[in-house]
Amino acid sequence: MNEHPITLHVMDDLRRSRLTVFFRPLLSVPHIIWLYLWGAVAGIAVIINWFVALFIGRPAKSLQSFIAAYLRYVITVGAYLLYVANPFPGFTGEPGSYPVELELPTEPQKQSRWKTFFRIVLVYPALLVAAISIYPVVFLFFPLIGFAWWATMITGRTPRGFRDLGANALRYMGQIYGYYYLITDTYPCSSPYVGMALGSPVVVEAPVAVEAPVAAEEPPAPEAPAEK
Amino acid sequence: MTKSSRRLLGLLIFGALAGCWLYAASRLWATSVPDDLKLPHVDVGALVGASELHRAQHFSFVLDLFGLAGLLLPLIVLALYAKWGHRFIGESAAGPIGTGMLLAMLGIAILWMAMLPSNVAQLWWLRRYGIVRTGYAEMVIGTWFALGAEFLGICLIILIVMGFARLLGDRWWLAGAPVFVAIGLLVTFVQPYMSGLKPLNDHPALVQAEQRLAKREGVKAVPLKVEDVGGLTTAPNAEAMGLGPSRRIGLWSTILDGRFSQGELEVVVAHELAHHKHNDLWKGLGWYALFVFPIAYLIARVTRRRGGMAVPLAVPLFLFAWVGLATATLPIDNAFSRRLEAEADWTALQATNNPQAAKALFVSFVRTTNENPNPPFWDPILFGSHPTEAQRIGMVEAWQARNGG
Repeated sequence: MNEHPITLHVMDDLRRSRLTVFFRPLLSVPHIIWLYLWGAVAGIAVIINWFVALFIGRPAKSLQSFIAAYLRYVITVGAYLLYVANPFPGFTGEPGSYPVELELPTEPQKQSRWKTFFRIVLVYPALLVAAISIYPVVFLFFPLIGFAWWATMITGRTPRGFRDLGANALRYMGQIYGYYYLITDTYPCSSPYVGMALGSPVVVEAPVAVEAPVAAEEPPAPEAPAEK
Repeated sequence: MTKSSRRLLGLLIFGALAGCWLYAASRLWATSVPDDLKLPHVDVGALVGASELHRAQHFSFVLDLFGLAGLLLPLIVLALYAKWGHRFIGESAAGPIGTGMLLAMLGIAILWMAMLPSNVAQLWWLRRYGIVRTGYAEMVIGTWFALGAEFLGICLIILIVMGFARLLGDRWWLAGAPVFVAIGLLVTFVQPYMSGLKPLNDHPALVQAEQRLAKREGVKAVPLKVEDVGGLTTAPNAEAMGLGPSRRIGLWSTILDGRFSQGELEVVVAHELAHHKHNDLWKGLGWYALFVFPIAYLIARVTRRRGGMAVPLAVPLFLFAWVGLATATLPIDNAFSRRLEAEADWTALQATNNPQAAKALFVSFVRTTNENPNPPFWDPILFGSHPTEAQRIGMVEAWQARNGG
């Protein structure tokens, strides 16, 4: 059983640019500023959505889409900082824009009003588990003092174990905040096998083609080999 | 409208703009220092001592070499980056502006790495002469972290330039240049609040003297503050900061450490007060505004060959053009700065009426900063934001000659 409404897809290979790894915390500075700005608005949206969910029994779709984009963005920035992926992420949290992506429910789900009312309390045990098991892991990725940083700098690749460790940290955080932000009422799962898809892309519904392209090019095959 | 009449109209508009530009530049260039003031030759060696003079010349010669490296290396590195920097586009999964930001940040990061050996060697030289107290590791790690602020600044610039370029095409500079002036205005205004200035509690006599000097100069007294730099350097300095309600005079703690007399400190305060009296920070912003428009226009022209600033491909060339044009305008910027500083010296002499203290101050500057009082002719052109100490002492003597001293 590895089903959870919030799943992390990791499509990137293990190759990393030493130049960007060396400067990665600094290269992330504009993202961190943008995270704060966007996060302030997203926080207000979560509060409004909480009232909406209490009133009508499910979150508002527009607010959920906005919060989901923010959460996807948080995870892509985290993936960049923890060397789970190589490319510099975009600023929009758009689905399908990054090789590490949090798949989130596209439609608001009906949620128990009791669970919604007590959400801020219910999330605490999961946050406690995260504080014990995930936050210390982050130090492994710190420049100069973190082993993962040194390993990546020396070999030009993130060791698979560290990549998976980072990905699991992000997966669990994504599930915690997805729960906290009312995107789902399924409780976050600390098992690394639930809600993790290594090597498989997010299935995005393609828009209906109105007109066939004249000379469609073959899309490039994903570089990452399928992993199990 | 025919092609020739359009051309004529364009020439007329250009001529009118050029005339306005020259008029504004001439107004900013004018100072209250008498035009007929002739500076006498000053034998600085007799004032500071031959060995002190030799030491200052030796120190400044090597420092100039580092300065030249600091001018040339960025041009070389960014020229190479302009040629090959586009290869880093593959490192980005962001949109055009995000990718442009990444390319700009990587350009600065590569420049930091290229400059590191020269900067470490320069630190060694400054430490050898006791000018700087910063450690090597502290410098390397400190500048690495400081890159974060630089990255943020360059990302803001790229956001403005590429954002306007995507809206207005090659005319982005018309909207971008005023935004850069507005940012310059904001930075100048908030600088005193960001500099870690503390109240000057230990020098009540200097505070009283400042109020007296302000009255004499006909200017509202400006809060005197102190900036603790004792852990970083031994060099003395002071600066006028802020605009309107944020105006301050910031004295480095090193100038208050007992090496300078009360009279010398009053000259320093009068000099900084003169900058506020003559609205020199506003003038500096005006000068910046005069240059930012043509520089932005030239960058827009140059980057067209890479598809214009709407595409990230042009960002490495943008960096090179920007630094190249800033380097090209350095001599005129320095000349402008020297005129404002000379005027502040002149006003300070008028306000303090104490040429002996002024002369002693400038002689002390040679001893405490090790700056060559008589540098080669190209040194002030490239690096001189202030008149040389020999010129400053010469101005004191010229003032004395005019005022019967």
